[in-house]
Amino acid sequence: MPDSSISTQGLTKVFGHFRAVDTLNLDVKSGELFGLLGPNGAGKTTTVRLLCTLIEPTMGSATVAGFDIRKDPAAVRRTIGVVSEGVSLYKDLTIEENLKLLSTLYDLPRNRAESRVQELLEMFAFREKAKRLVGALSTGWQKKAMICAALLHDPKVLFLDEVTSGLDPQSAIALQDFTKHLCDQGVTVIWTTHYMGEPEKICDRVGIMFAGRLVQVGTPGELKHSVSELSVVEVETPDLSPMQLEKVKHRLSSMNQVCRVRYSESKLQVSCERKETLAEEVASALLDVGARIRTINTKDPTLEEAFIALTGGEEEIDRFMESAGQTK
Amino acid sequence: MSLSSFIADTLAIAANEFRQFRRNRSAILISLVILPLFFTASLGAGRGGAGTSFSATTDIPMAFVDNDLSVASNRLWQTLASSPDFHSLSQSYDEQQSIGLLGSKKIYAVIVVPKGFQNDLDNGFQARIILYTDDSEPGVSDQIQSTLTNYVQNFNPNLEVQPILTQAEKQSIAGVEIIQKGASFAGFNVGLTIVLAVVQIFAGFYEIAGGMSREREEGTYARLLSTPVPIEAIVLGKTLFDLLLSTARTFIVLGLAIYGYGARPNTDLLTLLTLSLLVALVTMGLGFVASALKLGQRAVVIVEFFLILFLFAFSGLIIDKELLVGVSQTIATLLPFTYAFDALRRTVLLGRPLLSLTWDLEYLIMSGIIFYTISLVLLRESRERLIR
Repeated sequence: MPDSSISTQGLTKVFGHFRAVDTLNLDVKSGELFGLLGPNGAGKTTTVRLLCTLIEPTMGSATVAGFDIRKDPAAVRRTIGVVSEGVSLYKDLTIEENLKLLSTLYDLPRNRAESRVQELLEMFAFREKAKRLVGALSTGWQKKAMICAALLHDPKVLFLDEVTSGLDPQSAIALQDFTKHLCDQGVTVIWTTHYMGEPEKICDRVGIMFAGRLVQVGTPGELKHSVSELSVVEVETPDLSPMQLEKVKHRLSSMNQVCRVRYSESKLQVSCERKETLAEEVASALLDVGARIRTINTKDPTLEEAFIALTGGEEEIDRFMESAGQTK
Repeated sequence: MSLSSFIADTLAIAANEFRQFRRNRSAILISLVILPLFFTASLGAGRGGAGTSFSATTDIPMAFVDNDLSVASNRLWQTLASSPDFHSLSQSYDEQQSIGLLGSKKIYAVIVVPKGFQNDLDNGFQARIILYTDDSEPGVSDQIQSTLTNYVQNFNPNLEVQPILTQAEKQSIAGVEIIQKGASFAGFNVGLTIVLAVVQIFAGFYEIAGGMSREREEGTYARLLSTPVPIEAIVLGKTLFDLLLSTARTFIVLGLAIYGYGARPNTDLLTLLTLSLLVALVTMGLGFVASALKLGQRAVVIVEFFLILFLFAFSGLIIDKELLVGVSQTIATLLPFTYAFDALRRTVLLGRPLLSLTWDLEYLIMSGIIFYTISLVLLRESRERLIR
């Protein structure tokens, strides 16, 4: 097994005039839990589909578990598992029947298939639901069934594409724990999401994708550190009226360094380039408009703030989302 | 990939189709009840069927030449002339002149009773009558010969028919001209040639194109593509299961046509099944082509509607291919279903053996191969369009 479980060189996918994935160079080590983070349309799902050999690259190359995605797609498919919004199970079949079908398609020997199906049903607490139709299960159980199916043939690489969307918080946490456990057993996991909090909690490394490009790769700590030039001030200031908020925004924007002002649930969050006096300036602006201040804190940037800083700010993201939506 | 693995994948896909089908009540209802029963019953009701007399030869003009002029030959003449199957049989006294009329379209057969006919019968020898037929109309001689053989053996087991064809066989329309000449067939025989093909076309297209678009929309197609299973195994597996359904449909249509509407197909079950499944295969190939073009489920229904209209307009179903002009005739000539209806008429109405329909069979098989090849190429090429 090569050290790099996934390796891409200049991987590019163009749909018409839209570059969904643009010159992607990426190395993911065996047993690593790698997060691909980015807004909708950033190219995460297209990257997963390229690596799963569901679609062919326009340019560039990639290997998955040592197999070239262009030259040996069948071998790639034998070594990967996919859980994706677009890749589903047969709703008119039971979980057991779905698993048995897939065990044949993955060429598992009959005895091995039988025991593996039972093992997975046990592992995911599907025993009582094994004979129920997939279509009759809740979203959470359907997701679990899809993960079961993806693990059936002991894949070396597992792609989990937006896997927690639609899951309740408990199921999402259980899934995150289970994924970490899989990585401990040597499975490489690619976890794509647009929820900024997820990769920060579970991923060994995170790649930030934006407009088809891999903007930055590193551990969550490294990414946050890379934007340590960022100052974040959080003020608890209840009952701030829209007019007061506008005045504060106007005052702070006149300082020129402010990149973001956000107010929700009585908390005003201001992020801008590092500035020693930011807390004082924010406090002064609030007091001048007659706002009350309960607490005021400076804090380290989160991965979300790092993401926004690395991708050029919220306005840039909005512009991209708009153009991606139009192009697609 | 090994052959055994390919076969296992194909059978797994076919079994999967079966599992889904048996759980889908509306699919069972549409595929095995509504479509076969609706088409058969509506055509049966429209054309009437039960109780209509059956004879493919009744109105075919023939001559009877009695060279023996014996009691036995006279009894044979009376037997034939009074039968509903030889309603247009007339007596002639000049064998050569009658034979000379063959090919003129005035008569299509000459039945000659040779001298010594009664003598042979009286002495327990094998007697024979000679049948000259004009086979420029395909199927006519077969039909006359089989009907006549039936009669003479009932008349006397020691009697046989010696057939002599007077014209080289010519490939042309079958059945249609006979029908126009006024020959009557079993009540629902004509309807059966339509229903057998139309039901398979309607159901086969919906099952394949509709099924594939449903798989695509529900994400199960992408699931299959993410496994090592080759696209050929997916297509073949689905085809296998659909052939089973088509077989069941054939039996349902035949059962209702024969027992409900008095159809008496002039051929054997194997021939009917083979032709019906060939039509189904060609349609399935077309269905796979349509599915590779990323038709949605709703679009499949609309396309199917136009497909059926197209069939009725151009495949000789209502208007003979020969009567169409210009582009219409070109379309009819190219359309594989024209040959399917033609083959069904030749067999069901005229009793032609399956293997004599070389051109029709070749065209249908070739069309099936072409559709399947195109669909495999398209499904591979449009792989990413289909999962987006």
